[in-house]
Order: sequence, then C-alpha cells, then structure tokens
Amino acid sequence: MKSLLRNRKALIGLVIILLIILMAIAAPLLTQYDPNARTGRPHQPPSMDHILGTTRIGQDVFARLIYGARTSLAVGFGAGLLITAVGTALGIISGYRGGKTDEVISFFTNMVLVVPNLPLLLVLAAFIGQASPLVIALILGATSWAWGARVTRAETLSVKQKDFVKSAEMMGEPQWRIMTFEIFPNVISIVGINFIGSVIFAIITEATLEFLGLGDPRAVSWGTMLYNAQKASALSVGAWWDILTPCFALAFLGIGMSLLNFAVDEIANPRLRTGNHLKRWSLLVRSGEGRL
Amino acid sequence: MAFLLRRLVFYMAAFIAAATINFFLPRLMPGDPVRLMFSSAGAELPPESLAALKLTFGFVDGPLWQQYLTYLGSIFTGDLGRSIKYFPLPVTSVLGHALVWTVGLMGTATIISFALGTFLGIVAAWRRGSRFDVIVSVGAIFATSVPAVVTSLIVLFIFGFTLGWFPNGYAADPSLDPAFSFQYIGSIIYHGILPMITLCTVLIGGFTVTMRNNMINLLGEDYIVMARAKGLSDRHVMLWYAARNALLPTVSSLAIAIGTILGGSLVTEVVYNYPGLGNILYQAILARDYPVIQGQLLIMTATMLVANFIVDVSYVLLDPRLKGA
Repeated sequence: MKSLLRNRKALIGLVIILLIILMAIAAPLLTQYDPNARTGRPHQPPSMDHILGTTRIGQDVFARLIYGARTSLAVGFGAGLLITAVGTALGIISGYRGGKTDEVISFFTNMVLVVPNLPLLLVLAAFIGQASPLVIALILGATSWAWGARVTRAETLSVKQKDFVKSAEMMGEPQWRIMTFEIFPNVISIVGINFIGSVIFAIITEATLEFLGLGDPRAVSWGTMLYNAQKASALSVGAWWDILTPCFALAFLGIGMSLLNFAVDEIANPRLRTGNHLKRWSLLVRSGEGRL
Repeated sequence: MAFLLRRLVFYMAAFIAAATINFFLPRLMPGDPVRLMFSSAGAELPPESLAALKLTFGFVDGPLWQQYLTYLGSIFTGDLGRSIKYFPLPVTSVLGHALVWTVGLMGTATIISFALGTFLGIVAAWRRGSRFDVIVSVGAIFATSVPAVVTSLIVLFIFGFTLGWFPNGYAADPSLDPAFSFQYIGSIIYHGILPMITLCTVLIGGFTVTMRNNMINLLGEDYIVMARAKGLSDRHVMLWYAARNALLPTVSSLAIAIGTILGGSLVTEVVYNYPGLGNILYQAILARDYPVIQGQLLIMTATMLVANFIVDVSYVLLDPRLKGA
C-alpha cells in the first residue's frame, strides 16, 4: 500500500477515482434536481440554473451525471468483483489440481477467449430485453472471466512448486485449505491487476451496451445518457453538453482506473517503470552490468 | 502441422459452442420463440415462410437433440434464416455485404496501429525513462482507457461537427454511384478517415504497451549485452536483436486483441453511420431483428477464428521452434 501511494501514477489515479466516488455519494447535496424530472426547457446550454445544461426532454445534465455515477460505479465494481472471483477460483483450481480438471477448465477458458465478447453480450442482452444495470453486471460476470482464469492459472503453476506448498501438502492439509491459504495470498498481485482491469472492462462494456440500446432506457447511468443524447441527435443540433458530459466522465474514470492498473503492474514488475523510479533502478543495473 | 491441426479442431469446437448458445437462447424465452421473435418486431409473415423459419432455427417436431442437429445442419449449409427488418432478405446476404466494409475498415486500422504502436513501443523501451518514453507510455494509457464510444464521439465532434473537415457519416458520398472510379474510391477514403483515426486511437495504446513491456523484459538478456560488446550500432541492436525477439509475443497478443478490435469497430460504425456489421447490428437491435443479431454472433465468431488461425500460421512461420512440433 505504501509503495502504491509513492507511485505518482497510482496517486493521480486514486485521486480521480475517489473524487468520482465522493461525487456519487454526495449527489443529493450537490444538486437540488431529481435526475429524472423535467426541470427546464429542452436542450438549454449550460447556465447558472443548469451548470451542464439540460437534455432533450429538459432533465438537468449535471444531476444525471452525478446520480449516473452511482450506477456506473456499482456495475463496474460489482461486475469486476464477480469476474475476478470466478476467474481466480477457476484459475487456482485448474492450476493446482492439474490433470483432468485442468484440461476441462482450460478448454472452456480458451473457448470463451476466442468467442468475441461484445457480440456475445449483445446477443444475450437482446434476448433478455431491456437489461437493467444489475442484469448487465451479472451477464458480464458470467462471460468475461476467461482472461483472469488464464493468468491466475499460469501464476498458480509457478507458486505450486514452492517449498511452503510442498510442506503444507506433507502435513496433510486439505486441498481447499492449501488453495485458499497458501496459493491465493501468493497470487494476490495478479488478482489485483485482474480486478482493476475487470472493473475498467465492466464500466466500458456497460456503457457500450446501453449506448447500443440494450440497456433499460429509464435507468440513470452514463451509458443511457449517451444513448439518449445520441438518439436526440445531440451533436447535430449543437447540444454538445448533452453528449460530451458522459463522454468525459467515462474517459476520466477510465483514465483513473488505468493509471492505477499500470502502477500496480509497475510495482509488481519494477522493470516497467518510467520516470523517477526508473532512474534509481537503472543506476543500480548500470553499476552492476556495465553500460546497458 | 500437428499444431495447426489441433488449433483447427479447437476453433471448430468454439464455433459450435457459439452456435449452441444461439440454439438455446430462444428456447429459454417463454412461449413460442419464433412467433415471439417476430411479433415483438411487429412483422407480418405469411404462414409458409414462418414454417421455413422454424426449420432454420430447428423448431421441428422431435426430441431436443434432433432439433439441435437440424439447427447445426442449417448453419453449416449457410442458412442463418431471414431478416425481419429487411424481410425477405436472408441474413447471410444482409451480413455478408456489411462484412466487406467492416473487414476493410478493421483490417486497415489494425495494420496501421499495429505497425505504428509496435514502433513506438520499441523506441520507448529503448529509451526508457526518457521524456519520449514518459509521453508515449502515458499517451498509451490514455488511449487504451478511453472507451471506443467516447473516442469516436469526441473525434466526430471535433473534426466532423466543429471543424467541419470531414463528413459526419456514411462510407461514401451517397450521391455517387458505386463504381471502380477514381472519384468513388476517393470518396470512400475521405469518409473513412475519421473512423480510421478513431479505431487507431483505440487500438494503438495496447500494441505500444505490449511491445514496450516485451522489449524491456528482453533488454537484460545476455545476447543484447553481447551485441553491444561487439560494438554493433545502437539502431542495429535495437531493431535486429531486441525488437525481433520481442515481436513474437506481440503477435500472439494480436490474436487476443482481435476481439477488442471487433468490439471497437462495432461501436465506431454506429457512431459514424458506417454501413458495416456494427451498424447493421445496431439497426437490428432497434428493430429486435433476432435472426440478424444471432447471425452476427456467428459471423463475428467465424471472423475472429479465421483471424486467430492466421495469427497461428504466422506464429509457426516466425518461431522456428514450433515447426517441428
């Protein structure tokens, strides 16, 4: 955690995410408008009354932005947790158990990896009808665990060879105990990277599905803001505030999460660093190996 | 050869898995699925075409396994049913026409961003810690983390609506007749520039980061130090010793990236009103045109599997260790 705070990328990323979370929590304090109510005339540009203008049907864009953050964050973290949980469990089990179990799980993992994800999600969502954010989170969890399972399995294979695992086996500890208390804590950095990556993926995919019209248009979220703005041809009628607001919100959240992701990656693999951290490391290497 | 054969069998299984999902989904819906699929779209069908459709989707009298085989049979004979929105056009012709546009757009964007991204990754890794590296790395993070929807909308807003440099949609000037003429092809390129910029922005970051990380992990290897010690020029070591070997894992990451590329092109096409698969799909979703939605999953899966197989073949060509296997 300490090294995370000392990394500049991680710090900027954390600040962005915390700001968005705070904004979502404090939504009722930041605006007096109901995100669903018609509070003004349609498509009004930003003004003192509506700091980010109004939508086609006169809803306050700022209110929709901060209430929508709740949905986007909830789906992102909820689905991210689900994706990571499934991926980690399958990865550790197939890596540790090996044999037939491994063959079956790996086969399914590879299969899910080559079926294109977004089209599959589109088909699922289309049959469900207007999918609520909760349903979107659930189908994301069910279809997107494969990458995590693959990397966790690879990591488990190398941890499995370590002495402490062998000694736990000799002491006759049950398999589930070895997997949860010996293996899992030692693959935690991969699990962390997987989790952050899954959250980014879930946020982006939820917004995309809703933008394409597969979400519940009455839900207040950044994806439905995009959908409604696009349907109201916000760009061609010049109502840029209507469509750029959710755009920038998604971009910021994405950038914040990615900065955090890259920082965790750098901490786990110090060679990848840029900037100040690298100088000290490369000095060490140079003094050791000559000119590199 | 055995390696490629094994992959081929695996891809077949993956395709059948996608088809199986398509088979079971309508059966999980309450009521008569075919009738439901059509009534929700508000289309009126003559009874004999309804019967033909039922056959395509395997709704025949008999046990489930027989229905399943009927369905697989119709898929492998290239019958994906008929579109509801464009009735009576068959799904294959609706999607086949769109596929050409998508593959053209996607292929060009992939080649450009792969070449450019890989090159940036090589140089950034070689000068790691420098200002160039910081700019490229942070830029790559930004480019990868912004959703494709957002990138396309922002690019469209800036270059299409505000500056007015490029057209706001369609693949070519609608007033021109499709012909193999200088004017028409010029119009296609002109209309393709904005979607191309968008797709390249979405894709380039991933290639850059992968290449940079692969390169950096290789730079400590003995043969790099050896090449240096021999007094070879900087550029020679960078391109012919480090980059050459770092490229191999990048090619396999290309296979995984194809899914992202397909997804990105779906969304970009919707925003730019480009006549590819993405746009057809968007129209199909709005009209609840289930046969088309299901057909695109199969066509996209097939596209992805073919692309994966091409990557496999190039991997065998690039990595001599696999040739004997």
